[in-house]
Amino acid sequence: MDAHKPQTPVLDIQGLAISYETRRGDVPAVRDVSFQIKRGEAFSIVGESGCGKSTVAFGIVNFLGRNGRIVDGRILFQGQDLVGQSPEELRRIRGDRIAMVYQDPMAALNPSMRIGDQMAEVLIVHRHMKPREAEDACVEMLKRVHMPDPANVVRRYPHQLSGGQQQRVVIGMALLNDPALLIMDEPTTALDVTVEAAVLDLVRELQHEFQTAIMYISHNLGVVARVSHRVAVMYAGEIVERASVQDLFARPQHPYTQGLLRCVPRLGSDKRDSVLYPIRGRVPSPSALPPGCIFEPRCEYAREDCRLRKPELRQLYADHLARCHFAEEIRETVWQQPEDLLAHIAMPPDNTAEPILRVQNAKTYYQAPSRKLFSREKLLVKAVDDVSIEIKKGHTLGIVGESGCGKSTLVKTIVGMERPTGGEFEFMGVDISGPVSTRKLDTIREMQMVFQNPDSTLNPSFSVGYQIGRPLRRFKTVPANQVRDEVVRLLDMMKLGERYYDRYPRQLSGGEKQRVGIARAIAARPGLVLCDEPVSALDVSVQAAVLNLLLEIQKELGATLAFIAHDLSVVRFFCDRIAVMYLGKVVEIGPSEAIYGPPYHPYTEALLSAVPIPDPRAEQKHVRLLGAVPSALNPPSGCRFHTRCPRKVGDICEREEPPWLDNGNGHRIACHIPLEELRSMEAVITVPSASTRA
Amino acid sequence: MTASGKALEQASRNRPLARLRDTFSMIVSSRIATIGLLLVLFWIVVAILAPVIAPYSSSAQDGQAVNKAPSAAHLLGTDHLGRDILSRLIYGSRTILTLAPLSVLAAVILGTFLGLLGGYYGGLIDEVVMRILDAIMAFPTILLYLIIISAIGASAVNVVIAITFVGAPGIARLVRSLTLDIRVRDYIAAAQLRGENPLYVMFAEILPNARGPLIIDSMLRVGYAVFAIGTLGFLGLGLPPPTPDWGGMIANARKFIWVNPWGVLWPTLAIASLVVGLNLFADGLREESTRYQ
Amino acid sequence: MLVRDYMTRHPLMATQQMSVVEAQKFMGENKIRHLPVVGDGKRLLGLVTRQRLLVDPGRLGSLSVWDIARTLSSLKVSDVMLKVPEVVTIDSDLTIEEAARIMVEKRIGCLPVVEKGILVGILTELDLLAQLSELMAAREHGVRVTIRMPSGVPGELAKLVSAIAARGWGIEACGGSPSPKAPGKWDAVIKLKVTMDEARATLGQIPDQEIVDIREV
Repeated sequence: MDAHKPQTPVLDIQGLAISYETRRGDVPAVRDVSFQIKRGEAFSIVGESGCGKSTVAFGIVNFLGRNGRIVDGRILFQGQDLVGQSPEELRRIRGDRIAMVYQDPMAALNPSMRIGDQMAEVLIVHRHMKPREAEDACVEMLKRVHMPDPANVVRRYPHQLSGGQQQRVVIGMALLNDPALLIMDEPTTALDVTVEAAVLDLVRELQHEFQTAIMYISHNLGVVARVSHRVAVMYAGEIVERASVQDLFARPQHPYTQGLLRCVPRLGSDKRDSVLYPIRGRVPSPSALPPGCIFEPRCEYAREDCRLRKPELRQLYADHLARCHFAEEIRETVWQQPEDLLAHIAMPPDNTAEPILRVQNAKTYYQAPSRKLFSREKLLVKAVDDVSIEIKKGHTLGIVGESGCGKSTLVKTIVGMERPTGGEFEFMGVDISGPVSTRKLDTIREMQMVFQNPDSTLNPSFSVGYQIGRPLRRFKTVPANQVRDEVVRLLDMMKLGERYYDRYPRQLSGGEKQRVGIARAIAARPGLVLCDEPVSALDVSVQAAVLNLLLEIQKELGATLAFIAHDLSVVRFFCDRIAVMYLGKVVEIGPSEAIYGPPYHPYTEALLSAVPIPDPRAEQKHVRLLGAVPSALNPPSGCRFHTRCPRKVGDICEREEPPWLDNGNGHRIACHIPLEELRSMEAVITVPSASTRA
Repeated sequence: MTASGKALEQASRNRPLARLRDTFSMIVSSRIATIGLLLVLFWIVVAILAPVIAPYSSSAQDGQAVNKAPSAAHLLGTDHLGRDILSRLIYGSRTILTLAPLSVLAAVILGTFLGLLGGYYGGLIDEVVMRILDAIMAFPTILLYLIIISAIGASAVNVVIAITFVGAPGIARLVRSLTLDIRVRDYIAAAQLRGENPLYVMFAEILPNARGPLIIDSMLRVGYAVFAIGTLGFLGLGLPPPTPDWGGMIANARKFIWVNPWGVLWPTLAIASLVVGLNLFADGLREESTRYQ
Repeated sequence: MLVRDYMTRHPLMATQQMSVVEAQKFMGENKIRHLPVVGDGKRLLGLVTRQRLLVDPGRLGSLSVWDIARTLSSLKVSDVMLKVPEVVTIDSDLTIEEAARIMVEKRIGCLPVVEKGILVGILTELDLLAQLSELMAAREHGVRVTIRMPSGVPGELAKLVSAIAARGWGIEACGGSPSPKAPGKWDAVIKLKVTMDEARATLGQIPDQEIVDIREV
């Protein structure tokens, strides 16, 4: 329909190469990157950390820093080459016509200026608008980003808004100047799943209205599937595949893309769809690149030729390019699924086992500092409010919820780092309602934890071997002269090996640090391992590897696992039972299969409809929650979810706490809606089955 | 270099000798640190070789040569009692170079302990420790020295005690803030979940990670301590005579400044050069260690 | 059908510093005939067309070959562009028929669309022509019927539409204008997805209206 309009792409990158100067010479961070983005198109660059996707964006907006340089290629923006322009020209072009949104909204917002002033500044500086006029324009823009009560928001400061609202403000600010190109670098990574879904909806809507070309950078294949028209996959500084979004997911041609798609869970009706198959090997460092194809060391189809010659990015068929010598010969159906992984899924847990952990009516309340200076009011944050769960020996329980739901507090209470306000806690027959310092050494040994952040999970001053050995020495599970051997055995189990014994944390990658953390946790053979989002800070392919490792360990040691996650995609293939939490309470609990199909608790339904699915063919219901999570200081009366529930029944939801509905087989939902009605809900996600994939 | 080659190289870096070499190269790459180090080394060498290079003993008096300007016999001149300034300076370096580091060491031990305690426990313990430290820091340092020395008397040991007492709060503050930062990291939680006792957590898990800023701060403090000892000596609160004490030398020579300014000049220069050297060294080291963060 | 729905958003634009030589190359490469010139904040300063790039020989008359070359290469778009008060611009809220009227009246092929002086889009004759073909659903197959009826008489069009509705047919496209060659009459053009015979049978029966053209497209 627009064929008569000028077809010049908004952004035309040709053979872009960017290098960084370091003490040891030039490091080629980005090589031979080419793509085009047309008016009104959303183009995504997807890749793992270190692949260079952000560097490309920085190159466009001239943010490379002192030691970064564009060494080759052209960046044609609206027909004009940005490389080689004078600084004033660049400043004008970039200020008026290109905008960028980052991952952390607080990085873009000035904490000491009011929202209205900051937004107006954009218009006043670039368009020389009068302040009055500018403020009106800002209020208008806030309305367009669906900010509730915009006239009030302009007078507030950034810290008074929630993360999702801050990001809306940042997006609004970016669009104020009606840029031709909007670059978004992981804008929703730091947001909760339901908030992310709403922001992605907003981006799509605004793009349509403003006809802005969007360059979207992400590591999340699900998000990419949802927002893009076309996608480029980057690996170690090069584009390895480029196609339309449907085509990329339906027929990935490059082995890396295929591997990546196998690492992300798909949430179809079959549990097999959720198995994760990791990619072996490690991303090469940019200063030590393989001589031939950069993916060759990790490629399952690699041949002699791949090591000798560098492949070009060539066209395989209409609008689908891949950087591989033998792409046509690779058939995904030839790929063998590792038998042992499937065997793990097939093995059902032992339902006759005794519960190893039993929590009844747990309550953890904090005292919040009073807002008024001289009042005596006691402000209680009810972080965990009457939660009961139990885990049978050898099973895995997943605890899922968004920020503020109380899952971390629950786990910290169980483990003894927080003091419970009420409830019974029994672990292996021992009462553990007291803090760690009151527990017996043996009880402590049996309950260990794996932490979220790989950068703070290890002590930087001690070697890997020492840190894994410490629990062995402390709990005296092996004689002193055998500690080293045991540590080496653990390192082998973690697929790291003896040569890691003397290394220090700073020499390890994120995934390796997490593995060491796991080794440390299981060293003394605990009966229960609590994992606090152990993979959310890792790249997708590394996540898959670590999760599979945890599964293996569990089967081998017969350990019981509690796994905390913030969204429902990862836990599916991993957990036997899942509990969904909201604002301090469990709203649904049951065997994992039961959670993903109807009947759903309305919150679970919303969570499932918010999760970005890495398959554009998947059908997903569009349930969005209104408003923001209420504060735990003053939780809503009756059912805590009633303020945002799309299926609210009526006054009863506000007055009474919902009863537990029993769907059989240990599946329970806390809701006022009758069970038959819940059973008749449609499934949230329908995905074409795995048979078309492999 | 292949991946395994790199790993081997990195593993070898972990051995102490290699680490020393790394630190050395870090120092050498900063011009400031090198200059500072050379100045300090100069005085250390002087102190070590004192009996060898000093022409006279520190207390030998020559009644004939009182308050004389520099000459062939006395390279830097003589003081009001006819003692050779050069020799007194040389022997004085020994005093100052033993007392200053000693007092800083004592201050570091005391301050670290208090800082770890307050930072780790928080709550009431932290409040109590902090308020005591605040009280001490509220006094002007000179006044504090005066009070302490007057109370316990003037001697080498008491000088050390005084400087420790005055210096500990600053170190405690630093260690406390480092502890607060480190305390929330997951590896501390991991240690607590092993049931490690608090002393282990503080000294074995937290302290090693605080040592960087702590070491550099201590080196700066050695400079302050040198200066403090000089001040105490100048105020007459330092070491009793006839111990060669640079500050004391200045105090005594002050009365004769119109007759023999050399008596004041040389000790002043000595103190200045040592303090500047220590500061440059600490500064340069700090800059280098934070350069590639 | 407002200008804002059919204009080209984020048009290619130039800054004042661009030289005439560059502008010529730019317009050729990107196949555009009109290039707006903007300042800070995309404020419209002028418009460059093919015509304006042709330098008036009068300016060069008295110069030597070297001076001509130098003058030509140093000419900037700001020297040759049609400056803003003279550039005809429109608001994005305008109807496209109004925009078309302006284009015809002023005999120009391009209308920059501005909001408070800031360039937000551009509307060219090509856009309007494309719209015209969309208007009559040129891409759809069907039977195209032109029916002449008295103009100024209320209810005539309603008669036509009711006749179509009575048969349960859907209207693919519909347009009309005063008859070009018959004063006092009005031509309605309807596109239907039916056979020629069916259309002729139903629409030929309407009183006071006659089919002047019927064809399959």
